[in-house]
Amino acid sequence: MSRMHRNGPIALLFHTLVVGFVLAPLVVICLVAFTPANTLTLPTTQVSLRWFAAVFEHPDFVASFLNSLWVAAIAATIAVVLAVAAGLALDRYDFRGRAALNALFLSPLMIPHLVLGVALLRLFALLGATGSLVWLTAGHIVVVAPYVLRLVLAALSGLDRSAEQAAVTLGASSWIVFRRITVPMILPGITGGWLLAFINSFDELTMSIFITSPATVTLPVRMYMYATESIDPMMAAVSALMIAVTAAAMLLLDRIFGLDKILVGQG
Amino acid sequence: MGFLTLDGLTKRYGEAAAVSDVSLGVAKGEFISLLGPSGCGKTTTLQMIAGLVEPSAGRITLDGRDITHEKPDRRGLGIVFQSYALFPHMTVAQNVSFGLEMRKVPRAERDTRVKQALALVQLAALADRYPRQLSGGQRQRVAVARALVIDPPVLLLDEPLSNLDAKLREEMQFELRGIQRRVGTTTIMVTHDQSEALSMSDRVVVMEQGRIMQVDAPYRLYESPATPFISTFVGKMNRLPGVWRQGGIEAGGRLLPCDGAGLAEGAAAVLAIRPEKIGLTAPGGGVIDGCIKARFFLGSAWFFTVETSAGLVGVSLPNAGAEPACEGEAVGLAWSSASAKAGRPEGVLSA
Repeated sequence: MSRMHRNGPIALLFHTLVVGFVLAPLVVICLVAFTPANTLTLPTTQVSLRWFAAVFEHPDFVASFLNSLWVAAIAATIAVVLAVAAGLALDRYDFRGRAALNALFLSPLMIPHLVLGVALLRLFALLGATGSLVWLTAGHIVVVAPYVLRLVLAALSGLDRSAEQAAVTLGASSWIVFRRITVPMILPGITGGWLLAFINSFDELTMSIFITSPATVTLPVRMYMYATESIDPMMAAVSALMIAVTAAAMLLLDRIFGLDKILVGQG
Repeated sequence: MGFLTLDGLTKRYGEAAAVSDVSLGVAKGEFISLLGPSGCGKTTTLQMIAGLVEPSAGRITLDGRDITHEKPDRRGLGIVFQSYALFPHMTVAQNVSFGLEMRKVPRAERDTRVKQALALVQLAALADRYPRQLSGGQRQRVAVARALVIDPPVLLLDEPLSNLDAKLREEMQFELRGIQRRVGTTTIMVTHDQSEALSMSDRVVVMEQGRIMQVDAPYRLYESPATPFISTFVGKMNRLPGVWRQGGIEAGGRLLPCDGAGLAEGAAAVLAIRPEKIGLTAPGGGVIDGCIKARFFLGSAWFFTVETSAGLVGVSLPNAGAEPACEGEAVGLAWSSASAKAGRPEGVLSA
């Protein structure tokens, strides 16, 4: 950090504008959530928690919130397992179709979620598998796995292989090397990947619209359905809650591992 | 035969041979260096002994047991990697203890042995630190302790000192050698640093292009290098081309005395002499005269480059406490004919 320079006035202004532009909508929506009025207005004279209370009086929102939480947690976890396996294969072995496989694993990042949603809807209909939480989660795994794979691959390429060799020569079997050396050493990548996957799944809307059934509506889909009919400050309250969940996860991760390390990939 | 023997060990990558036909016997307790420039196959040889690289041909036997195709985790050898390869998420004590855990050594015995190993490398006080909290030299010691704690029959060191700064490298040379003497573990070290190889080893194995060129005690290697390459790679060597006459080499209009068994009168030859075997005299007092082109002060010695009619000659004199001849001064070079050797231009130099 010793190479940090002081910003010149123009750079400072530019940075302030960028940060302001990114933060302003989030700040506004969080403030609006505390309004006592019936419309989306900034609270001026007094603050109220009535719209937060309103969220919890809607059982469908609570159910959707829990749906989203489950889907995101399970999708992120399975994506981690798949990405670690795929990452090890891509990083360590030279095999036929390696580049093609790499591209295939990352392709969900490039395909519009809308297209994926329609495609999965058709596929699930053909399989007769619509409407279950399992298939919704499967769809989410497809979408979030590339994020995990990227971070796991970055962590693996930065790994000092001689540490693994050292463990082998000290008598460790390949399973023990994996469990006691490899996984702990790429843990920042794994956790960072899990978190990114969780967040992406948690707020995935475009694809989910197509593949949720009335029983498996996720929170973003529920919000979307609600907002098409009426806009009231309860939307702001839900948004504020979502921001809070995400921010809490980020803070926790930062405390444990340091966000710089995970997202920028610096050891 | 040796405690550890390599027999015709070869590693080919496609057409290219990284190591070809390396045979070597290592006695129990011996300290052997594999010395050579980068790409000479010394590290590949070490990795084959460790079991990390599968040999294309040849045999490795350890204490009479064929281990050529044994898995590295069964060989039980201790290895210190160039990057130290410590486990960053484990403390110093956990790092050292790892190999014992793998051997299912009971807890209490593990603790004692880890303590002993850390005491051996003078790190007992840092047992609970993490590798990132240690200096380069301390990491190096942890790596040595981790490799030695399992009582390996053979200790393999892969460029163990190359990541240390010059001062520390010198200290660690003596310390590593001291530890090896105390423990008595048969040790093979890979290095590209000739002074490291000379000062630490019982025998030095010089490799070039995948082959062993010479195996000798450091002193003999230095005094009787088998090839011109070794003569310049191990220490400095003046090489003056000329023609062989009875009793010396004719070069630059002078007859330079040297030892030249087996050369035919009038044959093209090269005189080889170490800089420290040459003395400075008054002009006319030596075998050839010259003029000092450059002078370097090295602390314990002075190094001169002297321009003569036979070519540039490097001369090294011990620092005797007074200032010697200056640049531009005319001097004579003197040496005894026994300390200079003549050879064919691309031929073998050894006597």
